Amino acid sequence: MNEVLNQAIVSGLLIGGLYAVMSVGISLTWGALKIINLAHFSFILLGAYATYQVSNSLEIDPLLALLFVLPAGFLAGVILQIFFEFAKVDEFQSLIISFGLFIILQSITRTLWTADFRRIDGANNPYESMSFFIGDIAVQVAPLLAFAAATGIAIGMHLLLTRSYFGKAVRAIVDDPEIARAYGIDVRRVAVILSGLATSFSAAAGVFIASYQSLTPNMSLGWFGIVFPVVILGGLGNAVGALGAGVIVGVAAGIATTQWGPLSAPLVTFLIMIAALLFRPQGLFTRQGSA
Amino acid sequence: MTKRGKALAGFALAAVLLNLVPTLVEATDSPGFYITFMFTAFFWISQAVSWNILTGYSGYFSFGQGAWFGIGVYTTGILAVKHEWPFLLALPVAGILAGVAGLVLGMVVFRLRKLGGEIFALTTLAVAFVLASVARLYSFIDGGRGIFMTSTPLPEFLGDFRTAMFRMTFVVAFLTLLAAYLIFESRIGWGLFAIRDDEQVAHGLGVPVFRYKMLALGTNAFFSGLMGGVWALQIGFVTVDDVFNIRVPLFVILMSVLGGMKHWMGPAVGAVIIYTLTDRLNSAGLEDVNQIIIGGLLIVLVLAVREGIYLRLRARWKLALATFLAALSVWTLADLGSSVIWDFAYASLLTVGVTLIPTRARRRTEVRSEGPPVAVDEEASTDRGPG
Repeated sequence: MNEVLNQAIVSGLLIGGLYAVMSVGISLTWGALKIINLAHFSFILLGAYATYQVSNSLEIDPLLALLFVLPAGFLAGVILQIFFEFAKVDEFQSLIISFGLFIILQSITRTLWTADFRRIDGANNPYESMSFFIGDIAVQVAPLLAFAAATGIAIGMHLLLTRSYFGKAVRAIVDDPEIARAYGIDVRRVAVILSGLATSFSAAAGVFIASYQSLTPNMSLGWFGIVFPVVILGGLGNAVGALGAGVIVGVAAGIATTQWGPLSAPLVTFLIMIAALLFRPQGLFTRQGSA
Repeated sequence: MTKRGKALAGFALAAVLLNLVPTLVEATDSPGFYITFMFTAFFWISQAVSWNILTGYSGYFSFGQGAWFGIGVYTTGILAVKHEWPFLLALPVAGILAGVAGLVLGMVVFRLRKLGGEIFALTTLAVAFVLASVARLYSFIDGGRGIFMTSTPLPEFLGDFRTAMFRMTFVVAFLTLLAAYLIFESRIGWGLFAIRDDEQVAHGLGVPVFRYKMLALGTNAFFSGLMGGVWALQIGFVTVDDVFNIRVPLFVILMSVLGGMKHWMGPAVGAVIIYTLTDRLNSAGLEDVNQIIIGGLLIVLVLAVREGIYLRLRARWKLALATFLAALSVWTLADLGSSVIWDFAYASLLTVGVTLIPTRARRRTEVRSEGPPVAVDEEASTDRGPG
């Protein structure tokens, strides 16, 4: 029993990295730009399907698809943010508009790839079931890579936001966009770049998902129950917090799965979210008053 | 006659007239799907109007409609099929259970001072997913097997299945509209609009913020669950995927945004238009593009028609009525559409199109005399004021 539990904790820890990559884009645009972008779920899904398509058609390693998916995701984020800036949407309108976009992209995905399960051909995909053992505990490689990416994103974003001029501008915009503009910060340009970064992270999450899971268009609905607890637990706009929260949610869901079956996982993650809202609505990893 | 008296008399008249419809359809030997079309419209009217009691009135955006609806569906499913309760006895339980679930959620989220509207929206979104996983998990609810509703016995006096569905959905839709109207015209309505405009100020002025929000959420969940309970019969084979999906919340948002969220009638008008549109698209064999059109409409509407169609129609009701009647008679007489529903669809689309043509005078002619008097400056009353 103890081994099963240990295994659940390690697997949960690793998948927590994937959850963090999936959540960090939404967290960043919500926290910094006040845009709740549900279309990120579609970008994750499209990233996954694009990886599937590229890897199968060109017979290449799925991780090479990052070379194509990251710039495409960046571009999508840029275009979307230009649209949001043009339409001057507020937080609620962004929620509804991106919800409409989510529905459209969902439908397009279903039309292009049908509702059947799709999987990258095993011949091109070394990560499908690749794993190694530490003692008795199996470590899957694909989530481990996602975990590494999440760590990279968390450290990179943290450094970018605290050590660079761009980060200073972002923090100024979070505090007060009007004053930031008055001090000569090109708010629109900063927002567009940040949105591009956020979207490329989401698309990258799709690459990792495609490298070891079967794809179906409806899987994006199931992500809602994981991503929002992670975003809220981690604190809005906080990349490091997203990683911590992803790990917490992943481990909790992993333990719940072994104890009460896989169907109980959404229940547990949701209860964690409620608890977080009750006791620390600003997120576990956010100091009072910081962005 | 007072305004409220007039409105109530209007309601009663509509009730009598519409209940004659099944008899009339039968007597004139019209196809039975007219009745199906109408009771599906009633379903959407009830869902959209009940959603608006919370979201339109108080400003708290809810994605939870699917959850309340699903609770209703499963309650009558479990009670009437698995425990063989009489259907009409199980029905109120469906509404009450959904209402209680809404209140429990409200107890948690409305207690949180710092909780913004966005977090409320996402919490309600998560509720449906959690309920879906609970339903799959426990076999006394569903357990992944689904529930067959097709042989549920209905009382004799309701007539055959279609007529029974018509009568039940009609009664629920009627009650929902009545509740929406009464709240809209009451002190509670004023309180809720004040919360929508500025909750801090409303609280400071002595509006019992928590109690009003709970009431709005409870009413919303109750009517959604009640209609869900009826709708279980129409679904026939109830499964988790069919019930707890994104369809119901998506459509109620779309209908309310289109119709207008600042008046109790807005969502009902939006529901009729959107339902007619999707029904016609489906019958024309365009199911695939349907979702794309719906999503696109949502985006365009949020940006373009901020106050909703209903207020626009009311401000230009002569033009709207004339267009509608003219279009309907032309289409019917010239026999252009293949059925009355097609005629109706074309006529209403044309009417909406005509009333949406922008005019300079629009802002001034916009109806502001109705609804609770909100003493604010002109700009605010056209942008946010009810009615």
